Amino acid sequence: MISFKINGKTIETDADPDTLLLVYLREIAGLTGTKYGCGAAMCGACMVHLDGQPMFSCQLSISAVQGRNIKTIEGMSENGEHPLQKAWVEEQVPQCGYCQSGQIMRAAALLESNPSPTEEEIKSWMNTNLCRCSTYNRIVKAVQRASREMSS
Amino acid sequence: MSDTINISRRFFLKAGSAAAVVMATGGVRMLAYAKEDNTEVFAGWVEVTPDNKVHILFPSTEMGQGSNTALPQILADELNADWDQVEIKQLNKDDRRFGNPAFGNILYTAGSSGVYAYFTILREAGAHLRDMMRQRVADEWSVNFNSVIAENNYIKHSSSGRQMSFGKAISLPDFSTTALRSPVVLKEKSDYTLIGKSIPRRDIPDKATGRAMFAIDVRVPDMLYASVIRSPVEGETVESLNDEKARGARDVVDVITLPDGVAVIAKTMHASFVGRFSLEVTWTETSKYRKYSSESTIAEYRQIARSEEAGAEWRAVGDVKSALKNADATLDAMYTSDYAYHAQLEPMACVASVDDDGKGAEIWAGTQTQSWTTHTAKEVLGTTEDRIKLNMMQMGGGFGRRTELMQNYVRDVLLCSKAVKKPVKVVWLRPDDLKHGAFRPAAAQYMQAGFNSDNAMTAFYHRVATPSVIAYFNPIRWGQVKPNDVVSMRGAENKFYDFDNFTAEHVITERHARILPWRGIGAAYTSFAAEAFIDEVAAKSGVSPYDLRMKLLRNNPRGTHLLKKVSEMANKVPLKEGRGRGIAFAGYGDTQSAGIVEISVNESAGTIKVHHVWIAVDAGKIISPDNAHNQIEGGVLWGVSASLYERITITNGLVDQENYFNYPILRHDMAPKIEVYIAKNDFKPKQVGEAGNPMVAPAISNALFNITGRRIRHLPFTSDNVKKALS
Repeated sequence: MISFKINGKTIETDADPDTLLLVYLREIAGLTGTKYGCGAAMCGACMVHLDGQPMFSCQLSISAVQGRNIKTIEGMSENGEHPLQKAWVEEQVPQCGYCQSGQIMRAAALLESNPSPTEEEIKSWMNTNLCRCSTYNRIVKAVQRASREMSS
Repeated sequence: MSDTINISRRFFLKAGSAAAVVMATGGVRMLAYAKEDNTEVFAGWVEVTPDNKVHILFPSTEMGQGSNTALPQILADELNADWDQVEIKQLNKDDRRFGNPAFGNILYTAGSSGVYAYFTILREAGAHLRDMMRQRVADEWSVNFNSVIAENNYIKHSSSGRQMSFGKAISLPDFSTTALRSPVVLKEKSDYTLIGKSIPRRDIPDKATGRAMFAIDVRVPDMLYASVIRSPVEGETVESLNDEKARGARDVVDVITLPDGVAVIAKTMHASFVGRFSLEVTWTETSKYRKYSSESTIAEYRQIARSEEAGAEWRAVGDVKSALKNADATLDAMYTSDYAYHAQLEPMACVASVDDDGKGAEIWAGTQTQSWTTHTAKEVLGTTEDRIKLNMMQMGGGFGRRTELMQNYVRDVLLCSKAVKKPVKVVWLRPDDLKHGAFRPAAAQYMQAGFNSDNAMTAFYHRVATPSVIAYFNPIRWGQVKPNDVVSMRGAENKFYDFDNFTAEHVITERHARILPWRGIGAAYTSFAAEAFIDEVAAKSGVSPYDLRMKLLRNNPRGTHLLKKVSEMANKVPLKEGRGRGIAFAGYGDTQSAGIVEISVNESAGTIKVHHVWIAVDAGKIISPDNAHNQIEGGVLWGVSASLYERITITNGLVDQENYFNYPILRHDMAPKIEVYIAKNDFKPKQVGEAGNPMVAPAISNALFNITGRRIRHLPFTSDNVKKALS
């Protein structure tokens, strides 16, 4: 049995311990907001928080997260109320939207450690996450908007 | 074309009777039918229900382009619907009545065509239902038709102040046989209420919460997972298979040999991977594609481009051959480009549940075409259309990747599900998606220009040596259009310029790899060659690249406006030390785009950085300006990514790259600042989604010349290619 927390809820599972956290989240826990993009820590679509730190869930097996706290996009808010999620809608960021859960999780970790990042800091922090529709400039604007809202 | 539709006869009939027709511009089209319950269906495009909701059919599929909002917006405007009461319904069938007129009524989402192709049909549908409700309510109130209006889901009679909801109007007795007594007139452009407004996209809130469902996210009861190992080279099959370990692995249910692969089917996704990686497979290794490597392919295409081999004429003005022969001077150059990969973030994935008799299926797929996904299922199961139930999922990027006639990711899941008699999900791993991808074709383009004794250009000759993309990915279509391949050739028509003598032709070369449409299709490389060569012509003529383009645009006021505009925008920003700018004028289809880029180059490293892009676009009437802006920005950055990084190489039939670490695409830190100008006018709507990228590569190459004095004539401008160009 492996046990860990997802979005505050304790999970106990007898799934194969080598199962990737990403695969567990999506196909067993049914939390499909976290996406598979590359399996190689190159795209960031699978980004979750592990004990508050942004992590590629495609790089962790469930045995490696025994006793840890996982937060996914579904744990960000009940209904999209997180300032970043609201900013994503306000700025009309997504196109295909496939990468955006990962982008939001990555940005959330930034604002937790650096509530008022500069444009350069945002770009360099977000560099782990690919967007093939290239919504990059709107992502920067949305992070800035959320940062303003969170600090006001 | 008139904006008035002539109605041949009463067009709205009860269910059970023959469907009605209207004479619309261009011919007769099935438009209307009614359902037996109290719900009226107009042409199936729009349905008003007694609860005063408006349900609008979305005939395309959504891959990020935003037409899921923009198309219903067009119909809702003409209907004078209350946008908040509009619900959007995905078309999940190969129902050609709703097909894309730009593609012979195939259900096909490509070529940035949704808005322009459906614009009139959607307006007609909205206007018809609007006027039917006006007529029926006017009759009910015994007032004149012209005295009632439709507004925000209500029919209103202004002089008496009476009003009735759409929901009540369609519930009036005999509504469905209401006869219109005057022709339906489409709105004046000044009366648009929704068209031209930046209405928030309907799909965006779910994309900020992770709730948006893609094919890869679908889970159905009792679903199994299949992981497929595919033959490394096209056309090869399994020679021997040892699946002992896979069959003994925990949770593995079955191992199935597919036409060009082996699938391990398991109760969990994890087990399907474990099983798949334990397979020992040898392949026939007899494919002719093992002879081909990208480098030798491009060398071969170069030879053909420069040869006398006849090409299929794509567009011609005057007599380019005589003009070249009679020219006082000539200039020529060879431009080449590599294969490129779509790199959409959602890899190929599909879920299907095949019926026990093997002749029917429910399918959850993200593809750009209901028609060809249905075709695939019919072919694979040997069945009829009525046995196929589609669920068209939104896509994690399309870009042309999901357009084929025969979709092997759909085929595989059907074969797996049929074999195990359970629903199955197939997800391609990224290396599968890349190594078994289908690419923007490699191309060689031979450019020639002729000049008179004043060094003014008299001839422009553009020969494109590349395979036919359509012949490969859709042989049915090729039968209809041969030898005109818009996918391979778009952009080369160069129709925005006024040339005295011009020819573009397609020398159709042998295909050496799987190829598909790719964002911008042909314009992604033909505009590179044409617009970089225009700068070479300008240099030879001793005029500035801007002036030469202005001269070529002399009979094109909309184009002239864009070139002036983009130049003004860029001139407001002082050029920084150590940087240079390049200009290009391209576009996509009927949409014109003028662009300027500012770059710097590290000559010893061979790296280019794009700092700033200005782009001016005229796509006619814009339905949703904010979304258009986002699409154009995305297109520009696609062009930057394609120019700087993107290259598929093939060695003896095997794709060399496998993931984003050796097929890099643009990341946050390299995204330049972009300023977008979109012309405001009331011309017919045209293409937006692919209007941004074609001008980028030539503008960067022209900027590189302006800094270094050296031309780069091979796409992409990776450091090895830049160093070669500079040496």
